[in-house]
Amino acid sequence: MIRYAAVVTVAIRQQLAYRAEIVMRAVSMVLFMGVFMALWSSAYGVSGQAELAGYSLAEIVWYLAMTETITLSSSRVFVEISEAVKAGDVAYTLTRPLSYPLYQVAYSLGGSLPRFALNLLTASLVVGLGMGRIAGSAAGLAAFLVTAALALVLDALVAVLIGLAAFWIEEVMPAYWIYQKLLFTVGGLFLPLEMFPGWLRGVVRWLPFQFISYVPARAFVAFEPAFVLQSIAGQVAYITLFAAVVALVWHRAQRRMVLHGG
Amino acid sequence: MGDSIKTARLVAGYFRHNLMSAMAYRGAFILQVVGMLLNDLMLLFFWWILFQRLPTLQGWDLGGVMTIYGVVAFGFGLAHVACGNAFRVAQVIASGDLDYYLTLPADPLVHLIVSRMSLPAWGDILFGLVVFILAGPERWLSLPLFVLLGLLTALVMTAFAVIVGSLSFWIGNADAIALQAVNALTTFSLYPVDIFPPAVRVLLYTVIPAAFVGSVPAALLEDLRWQNLVLMIAFTAGIVLVAAGVFYRGLRRYESGNRVTVRG
Repeated sequence: MIRYAAVVTVAIRQQLAYRAEIVMRAVSMVLFMGVFMALWSSAYGVSGQAELAGYSLAEIVWYLAMTETITLSSSRVFVEISEAVKAGDVAYTLTRPLSYPLYQVAYSLGGSLPRFALNLLTASLVVGLGMGRIAGSAAGLAAFLVTAALALVLDALVAVLIGLAAFWIEEVMPAYWIYQKLLFTVGGLFLPLEMFPGWLRGVVRWLPFQFISYVPARAFVAFEPAFVLQSIAGQVAYITLFAAVVALVWHRAQRRMVLHGG
Repeated sequence: MGDSIKTARLVAGYFRHNLMSAMAYRGAFILQVVGMLLNDLMLLFFWWILFQRLPTLQGWDLGGVMTIYGVVAFGFGLAHVACGNAFRVAQVIASGDLDYYLTLPADPLVHLIVSRMSLPAWGDILFGLVVFILAGPERWLSLPLFVLLGLLTALVMTAFAVIVGSLSFWIGNADAIALQAVNALTTFSLYPVDIFPPAVRVLLYTVIPAAFVGSVPAALLEDLRWQNLVLMIAFTAGIVLVAAGVFYRGLRRYESGNRVTVRG
């Protein structure tokens, strides 16, 4: 466990070294939140209603600030894994006293943490200034931090799985695009699930994607202990399931590896 | 005239060559195209839900937004397929890789931008066409106008990418800024320009010309007004000239990367 904590620390330091990239990410966040505030102000203006699907304008904008905070901190570790698989470098990791998939999860989390802190700060500042108020509570913030941490673990496991898919498919980017767009849509990144038609809501509440975007953001803007506890149970269940799948896939992948001398 | 023919042959040659190398890995190519098609399709989900709650948004309905997506995706796809390297100009300048293009007799800017093809961008072209045709009844009748506007959109995107990429001539590695600027152009272009406050709208017609990539051509496809078409053509010609001007002005400052590279 200490070894993986060291990996997390190294990844955090590595992330902090790229300051220009950090600034660019903050600019992205300002841009996205600006677009969302304009769009939703227009939409609420047109509808003539104070609430849409139970969300006020300030609540929906804060909801989006939270989903964007997580998404812009999410893992891109599949790029490195798929490159290592294609180039054959993955074979060298077998001799290390670490589990390769767990190493990648730890590395991914270390990279996500500084980005998460910066995104949360930037999004909160922009939206706080734009809306003139905070649509959330201290309890909501605590629930957000816990569920967002679990969301990032789940996301890192999915990213590792996508990376390992390179053992079977030539190009993993399309798999990532589809996963990312599932987060955008049924994950509730752009719209809270309450806005969906009833039949669709019934389907998506069983899928893993809402645990990564919708759950933490909803926990922040509308804190309810029962919802948070139920969601954490769902997140832990999916983390267990995906960890098992990653272990199984890695086991299969190792059998596909061919090592030559040299 | 002779020069134009030579340039056209260079562009066509690279296009054929890039497509043929993509076809060498047919499985990966098809996977990327289909992946991008699905990717784009899922972006429309948001608007589909939103327009179930609101009839229109500042004069735009689902058909109108689908037209915006159609023309942006088609133009984006064309730009990335035919001029894929326009989006890497900053990187090429900063790393000194421009030397290769300067030693050959072809026009360096044209040669630079056409020498790479993005494969998933074929999926964007396909998506753009499909979504435009599905956006309303009898859309195939305005297909020629759609293709023309898609071409203009592609030129605006490419020219904008060259301008922001050329910043590398002055400030060193402008890769991150260029990427951010192009992302901003694409992001803003996918929303009806009328939803933004007036000050932002001015920016979207000038500094980040997202209006000329999305809303202006989409509005022309919904309601063809000649003066707006002339404006669109004039803006495209203007930005292309500015891009060429900025690139060649910057080129005078370029110092060789002094790197020995072999390019296949």
